[in-house]
Amino acid sequence: METEYKDVEVVNRKSSFKGKKLILRFLALTLTLIAAVVLGVDKETKTVGLTLVTTLPPVPVPVTAKWKYLSAFVYFVVANAISCVYAAMSLILILTSRNASKLVSMTIFILDLAMVALLFSAIGATGSVGLIGYQGNSHVQWDKVCNVFDKFCHQVAIAAFMSFAGSITFLLLIVFTALSLHKKS
Amino acid sequence: MASNVDSAIPPHTHAAASMEVPLKTSAPPPEYATRGAGGSKKHAVVDVFFRVVLFATSVAGIILLVTSKQTKLIPVAPGIAVSRAAKFNNSPAHIYLLAALCTAALYGIITGLISVFASSKLKFHFVILDSLLLGIMASATGAAGGVSYIGLKGNSHSRWNKICNLYDSYCLHVGASVLLSLIAATTLLLLVWINVHALSKKIARR
Repeated sequence: METEYKDVEVVNRKSSFKGKKLILRFLALTLTLIAAVVLGVDKETKTVGLTLVTTLPPVPVPVTAKWKYLSAFVYFVVANAISCVYAAMSLILILTSRNASKLVSMTIFILDLAMVALLFSAIGATGSVGLIGYQGNSHVQWDKVCNVFDKFCHQVAIAAFMSFAGSITFLLLIVFTALSLHKKS
Repeated sequence: MASNVDSAIPPHTHAAASMEVPLKTSAPPPEYATRGAGGSKKHAVVDVFFRVVLFATSVAGIILLVTSKQTKLIPVAPGIAVSRAAKFNNSPAHIYLLAALCTAALYGIITGLISVFASSKLKFHFVILDSLLLGIMASATGAAGGVSYIGLKGNSHSRWNKICNLYDSYCLHVGASVLLSLIAATTLLLLVWINVHALSKKIARR
């Protein structure tokens, strides 16, 4: 009797974990997609007065800021696109295989962890380069650019935040998998 | 468990040898013997080895990063040169890298000692803490790597000039430190994988 009851409880808890995990996976898919698109369409053109000769008035010159110009932003977009595609593929894999085998769930766990590492490193790179753009670095004479390109910088910040939320979601997926393993053992 | 090993040794061998054997086997925690599987012991050894690697790489990274200061004479005008130093704490990303490496070194030594001396019931907590530290290490590596890449190549669009042609040994130190933190992050990834593998194997055995 006792063991039967326990089994039922374990199954119930497992299914509730499964529902939560599916929602989290869908959330991760959405957030990384938003992050990749927001930074991927980021482009701003501004006209800046450039003083060539001090006696003459400044010459208006159009300058453009694009996400492709900084390698950290390219890395960010690629990493978010990869984790978005992976989230979609794993969602399809989980939904199609009803009683998932051990190998499938183990592979998904391993790849989830790889996505956590990938997304966190992309956020770190974008955040640090964005910080230089926002504040500049006086020691090496790297001037800030966010006083000119304000909309561009806001979009980068939004994308970084979305991607951070997405990576926290992947981290929660890891924690839930570890919890369900712990409950079973 | 010590009596188990003792009984394996014939009673009439040298007394000194039979005295030494229990001493050696009393060092590892008793869980290995009670579980009775060779795979679990092997896993514990690999776990401790990876934690030692994590500690070693992060300590080496800290040393390389802290000793990266380089002073050079920069010509500002014909005949005038100013001595300017490049230090790691000029950039917030590298301060973050140092903090993350210190955390990883401390974490590596503490959890290494725990997994040698304490019970392996903490394995589940290690999985979560390991993946959290993996996130921190990956973001620190990404941050320092992104800034160092601009320092190496420069960026013509925002007129950020490269500095590694001037400060060569500084860049070498920082680059090696970033590489070591990448190795530390990979070690953490492997640690989580083997711990979860061991957990799921333990379930399958039941």
